[in-house]
Amino acid sequence: MAPSPRLRPSFAFALAVLLSPSLAHAYIGPGAGFAFAGSLAVMLAAFALAIGTILLWPFTFLIRMIRVGNPYKNALARRVIVVGLDGMDPGITTRFLREGRLPNLQKLAENGVFRALDTSNPSMSPVAWSSFATGVDPSRHGIYDFLTRDPCTYAPILSSTDIKNAERVLNIGKYIIPLEKPKIKLLQKSVAFWKTLGEKHIPSIIQRVPITFPPVPFRGLLLSGMCVPDLRGSQGTFSFFSTANAEGKAAFTGGEQTVLRRKGNIIRSRIVGPDNGMVKDGGRMTLPFTLTVTSKAGEPGTVKIELDGGESFDLGLRVYSDWVHLNFNGGPGINVSGIAKFYLISADPEVSLYMTPIHIDPESPAMPISHPEVYAVYLAKRFGPYATLGLAEDTWALNERVIDEGAFFDQAMAFCDEREKMLFDAIEHTREGLVTTVFDTTDRVQHMFYRYLDPTHPANRDKESTAYADAIERVYTRMDGVIGKVLETVGEDAVVMVMSDHGFTNFRRGVNLNTWLRNEGYLTLKDGKTLSGDWFEDVDWSRTQAFSLGLTGLFINRKGREKSGIVPEGEPYKALVRELCAKLDALVDEETNTRAVRKAVAAFECFDGPYRLDAPDILVGYEGGYRSSWGCATGSVTPTVFEDNTKSWSGDHCVDPSIVPGVFFCNRKIKLDKPHIMDIPYSILSLFGHAPPKHMQGRMLFAGNADSAEVGGALDPRSLPQSGSAPGARIFPLGQAPESGDA
Amino acid sequence: MGSFNAIFTAIFNVVLAPFGHGFPWFDLVLWPLLGGILALLVIKAVSNQAGITRAKNFIQVHLLEIVLFRDDLRVVLPATAKALAYNVMYLGYNIVPMLVMIVPMTAILVQLVSHYAQAPLPVGETVLIVAKLDGEVQGVAVRDVTLELPAGLSLDAPPVRSADGEIAWRVRLDAPGDFVLKLHAGSVTEEKSLAVGGEARKVSVLRTKSWEALLYPAEPVPAADSPIESISILDRDDQPLRGLPDGEGGVLAWFFGVSLLAGFLLKDLFGVTL
Repeated sequence: MAPSPRLRPSFAFALAVLLSPSLAHAYIGPGAGFAFAGSLAVMLAAFALAIGTILLWPFTFLIRMIRVGNPYKNALARRVIVVGLDGMDPGITTRFLREGRLPNLQKLAENGVFRALDTSNPSMSPVAWSSFATGVDPSRHGIYDFLTRDPCTYAPILSSTDIKNAERVLNIGKYIIPLEKPKIKLLQKSVAFWKTLGEKHIPSIIQRVPITFPPVPFRGLLLSGMCVPDLRGSQGTFSFFSTANAEGKAAFTGGEQTVLRRKGNIIRSRIVGPDNGMVKDGGRMTLPFTLTVTSKAGEPGTVKIELDGGESFDLGLRVYSDWVHLNFNGGPGINVSGIAKFYLISADPEVSLYMTPIHIDPESPAMPISHPEVYAVYLAKRFGPYATLGLAEDTWALNERVIDEGAFFDQAMAFCDEREKMLFDAIEHTREGLVTTVFDTTDRVQHMFYRYLDPTHPANRDKESTAYADAIERVYTRMDGVIGKVLETVGEDAVVMVMSDHGFTNFRRGVNLNTWLRNEGYLTLKDGKTLSGDWFEDVDWSRTQAFSLGLTGLFINRKGREKSGIVPEGEPYKALVRELCAKLDALVDEETNTRAVRKAVAAFECFDGPYRLDAPDILVGYEGGYRSSWGCATGSVTPTVFEDNTKSWSGDHCVDPSIVPGVFFCNRKIKLDKPHIMDIPYSILSLFGHAPPKHMQGRMLFAGNADSAEVGGALDPRSLPQSGSAPGARIFPLGQAPESGDA
Repeated sequence: MGSFNAIFTAIFNVVLAPFGHGFPWFDLVLWPLLGGILALLVIKAVSNQAGITRAKNFIQVHLLEIVLFRDDLRVVLPATAKALAYNVMYLGYNIVPMLVMIVPMTAILVQLVSHYAQAPLPVGETVLIVAKLDGEVQGVAVRDVTLELPAGLSLDAPPVRSADGEIAWRVRLDAPGDFVLKLHAGSVTEEKSLAVGGEARKVSVLRTKSWEALLYPAEPVPAADSPIESISILDRDDQPLRGLPDGEGGVLAWFFGVSLLAGFLLKDLFGVTL
């Protein structure tokens, strides 16, 4: 006999350990305990979730049948895939199609249709994608630009999102404890069509469609896109660390420089993170790091970067790091997590390091970037960290020449790879329903590499202009590969659409409408001033009738609407608008002897929706080759109305919408020869057999059971109204026969 | 076995000495805490941390998949199977550190059990002293085994001898003290300690030749040629330290819980993925 028989089994570890791990757990203690506790939790969770799902499934199925019946009863398609290629241009696409570089899109056009897609006015992503999401024009969804002005202050505000700190807080000493979440509100009005689909029990996965931050709950999954801020709350602030500028005088748009002090091979510095809103006068949270130059003189540069209390990694010259987790600690219990990539520009003799904007960490999001919130986490766990910033590709870093074309292109393509994985994960999980994924790469690369299509572009001065001449082509062929994989994956039954929100054209000359308004006497500066800094710094509002802010909008200083408005409502207002439109239509760039504006449109003449009063009073439709100048977009008054655009951002689409239609490919023929972006959501609802809500303005593109669709095949490029200054126009001049082959 | 016990007992007698038994909770917090830290160090050193991270990550992926796509059984069922498969993989990654930890963790726990799992027996109670003869050693029969009690202990009833080689004595505990019982088996005499009354101190309830001696290190293992295989004290009431739910089981559960908690709380500090 042995003592304490009831305890003996637990003491039998030595022999039992390999045969019976469950006994061993108790005696081996923490080591196995960690595994055991974790595994047990996983098993319980997995079984509970699975059994719960299986048990509940008949009930949810029954409830669905009672409420909506078979959601696919009248469906023409049970699965729809929309691949959004932001900014894909029909002219450039046609050129590459004819050169045989886009075989999958070619197949799509041959078996289905390829047409230009009429876009919104203004023709820019937040506006056009909002029309895609809601199926209505801007006067119904309320988005007219990235920015608008606060009528009370004339200060710029984001059009799409309103972020306010928590109002109810608890003050404890120097700490401010919020008693509620910050208020983040999507300002886009109307209803997204995927919400309507969800109400009909048709699932959707929506990825990176612009103006979906914060996500609005619906029956489906959504990952927010354009307008998701970085961790600092901006639309993307890069960091540049360098020993090169000892005085630290460099100032960038869209970024910040930190001067590095080198002691031997060691450099100590810090990464500037978000505001510490939980500490009074807390300033910004920072994350110190040590950079050690590990290469010797004459060797290719390498450095080691060690974040205090975080990751350490080696970095070679001109290669990106993986995503690095940056954990900012603002005090006890105040931790915020972000991710960034590092890029070593040089290590010898000067050390220069670029860091992307700090993206919200999708594994631990500081703000809601998906619906449900765990969807962003799921994608991060499945594929690793990924870019979450709305304007993820860092165009400002290239515009400011902090990084070069190669670094920008590599970054953009890396983000494209991430997006592709997400798309195919969504397709894999959606056997019935809708998948929509937007790729921004096409837009960003065209913005930054358009100058390579135009040898005489002003932006080519003092810049290399041949090495990346094929950048746009590479992106188009890359996306063609994605489309090929999609078609192969989904088979014949699914409806596949490839679309863009707008096309592209040249941006050679900037137009400062504020300067023009000053010259014409509509905008008055304070006494003694001839110029004004950003955001109307020196504008005398009491004597100003009109001003321009953003990329296409011109506002009237209306009495009763603007704080210091002076233009009365009614006929005086309308007369002023018509007068300005007429003058703008006649505006000529004397240096090139070219009209700068194709059509200036009065908002009161083209909009009739409930949010028409929020619109800029005049939408300026520039000619191809022209755009609002950099200074005008930020509300400044510069010496001249026209200026060469010498920035890398050399292509644009904020022009007259007729110049820059998007593309529409589908593996089905359609009924309309000139589809509009608002037709797509309308048609998707119809394809699933559900009547679109009355407020939607689109049309059904596809044939039903009772009619037929005859519009198919490739686009006739002669139908494209490109302006004379756009490379696309030179390739397919309006009304002229294409260089080779039939349209 | 005897050497192993002797070494660890000597070490623990030294390390536990400064606090003695006057502060048992100090030992009972310190050692599980150190156990947890030791486990973290071992896991960090010998486990496949990347593999554990990967397995945990995929488990989370598939659990989230179940949550996100709960309306689609064609997703839920494979996701459940995958979560469980990665769970097995996760357990597999923990086998190596588990094996490495067996020896040190057992040593710590055994010492804690021997020091704190039982309190001395109360004065006035009776206990059963049971001796078992070693069947492998010939020449001694159950009738040849006698028990010699020191002053302060007395027999409460005549001994009971069974045919399968066991002899039991019911002993009354008349006075407090640390007693030594002597069992005479032929020409061999084996001793057994018995603690009665007084403060908490190291108590041994079994002296044996078998592998179980590893778990009861307070007394030396009987010689291999001794006719006595084991001497045990039965019918005792465990008197654990206040707050512990049970004698040996209580210490065991306590050690398990505290070391686990310490490990989870300190894992980030040590940079360990569990």
